[in-house]
Amino acid sequence: MSARLQLRDLRVAYDRNLAVTIDHLAVEPGTLAAVIGANGAGKSTLINAIANWSRAAPRLSGEILIDGEAVGGKSADHLARRGVVLVPEGRGVFMGLTVEENLRAGLFAARAGGRAYSLADIYTLFPRLRERRSNLGGSLSGGERQMLAIGRALRMAPRLLLLDEPSIGLAPRLVSLLLETIRALADGGLTVFLVEQNVRAAIAVADSLYLLERGRVVASGDVAAMKDDPRIIEAYLGARN
Amino acid sequence: MNIAQQLVNGIIIGHAYALVAIGWTLLLGAARLVNFGHGQIYMVSAFVAWWIMSMTGAPYVLAVVVAIAAGAVIGAIMQRLFLRLTLSQDLVNLMIATLGFGQILEGAAGLTFGPKPETLTSPLQAVTFDFGPVWFTAQDALAVGATILVFLGLHVVLNRTRFGAAVRMVAEDPPLVALYGIPISRVYISIFAFEGAAVALAATLIAPRTPILTSMGFEQVVMTFVVVVLGGIGSVGGSYVAGLLLGLFTAIFSALISPAYTTAAVFALLIAFMVLRPGKLAAGGNFAR
Repeated sequence: MSARLQLRDLRVAYDRNLAVTIDHLAVEPGTLAAVIGANGAGKSTLINAIANWSRAAPRLSGEILIDGEAVGGKSADHLARRGVVLVPEGRGVFMGLTVEENLRAGLFAARAGGRAYSLADIYTLFPRLRERRSNLGGSLSGGERQMLAIGRALRMAPRLLLLDEPSIGLAPRLVSLLLETIRALADGGLTVFLVEQNVRAAIAVADSLYLLERGRVVASGDVAAMKDDPRIIEAYLGARN
Repeated sequence: MNIAQQLVNGIIIGHAYALVAIGWTLLLGAARLVNFGHGQIYMVSAFVAWWIMSMTGAPYVLAVVVAIAAGAVIGAIMQRLFLRLTLSQDLVNLMIATLGFGQILEGAAGLTFGPKPETLTSPLQAVTFDFGPVWFTAQDALAVGATILVFLGLHVVLNRTRFGAAVRMVAEDPPLVALYGIPISRVYISIFAFEGAAVALAATLIAPRTPILTSMGFEQVVMTFVVVVLGGIGSVGGSYVAGLLLGLFTAIFSALISPAYTTAAVFALLIAFMVLRPGKLAAGGNFAR
């Protein structure tokens, strides 16, 4: 069985500046992989490249494979319909649409490949969204907006859920709640590729970790081994004692 | 002066302005784009209807349908031609390109239909209603009724349907639309096709009031521009109100002062509005209301 996501010799550049270089990266189906790293390490550039979505139109080369199929060059809307669903940094919900309109707006194809969550499923997962179903996206709190963003993504039957910094700007209690939900989704069989600056939170939920520095993976492996990696402890977790 | 008749004239002209402007309003509100070939689509649609009727003897209703289809096709062709400018929101080049496209349409229409004024005949133009000092034709009533229906229909589509939600999404954040799996070029093509179809409908309903000329497109662009700006740049409801008020203003101004200065007076009004209330000119996220 092939990996859900494979990157081979991926290069992402803005003008002539190489922002991300990934020689090889693979995420198995039903697992939660997290990319951690400091601000500016290239995490968002990497996750946006997988979805072929960017406001800055970088140059891409190399191979991106989803279930063994090369998808490099496919448009972002095509990939979204085929189940490669990105929740971008800043949530990516429409402020002028109500919660329910946001949840109904997505288009996905039968070939998306994942489980399509119904509106009722989303409201069960995030009861707060049911209460606010008629409110505009712009009136939601940061946490509610993130729930809506994930709910919208689940409606699109994702095979691969790409999450860019879901914890950013949220209170610690909400971060735990959201990441527990994401973990539960992965336990239910969804493949999740998470980019996260909050390293402790990422370690708490991920199966595998990739440490990104200046656009390159400098360490990777199972989370059990990686959390003892001295580079991670020193740079992100502080001293052991 | 017959004030009541002038008010009726104003209401009819105002609805005509609003109907001509509705497509451009949606284009500006949803796609933040302009189309200075708008008036020439109006002209071509009127001539298509006239040509169908005079060449084939088709009834007016069929000519209206064909003209609407032609308008939609012209709009869709424009969108395909200017797709790159549309996607990059390159407003200045799009303005120039659409202006040029309009001139090509005008030249092609001149070659095809000739320089003479023609008359688009509607059977409803001969049916009149007299209420004491006030009268209007069935064609006028049709134009007013159709305008109200088109505005209400657009309001419902924008606010109650999934397609309307997609249009509002494009208005708010075009790149983000792709992440919802929606091909943005299809939304843009629908908006352009609607613009063409709506202006064609306007042409076929309004053109029977006056002779049609292949040079009449520019006048339509000028008045549409005023309606769209006064209505709140891209506000659908605002355009309806602005069209109506502008119609009343031009009818009463023509009667009280002179029809010769009406266009100048309209622009004086526009400039005054822009100077005094510049903050009220953008509909922003409320365009669909």
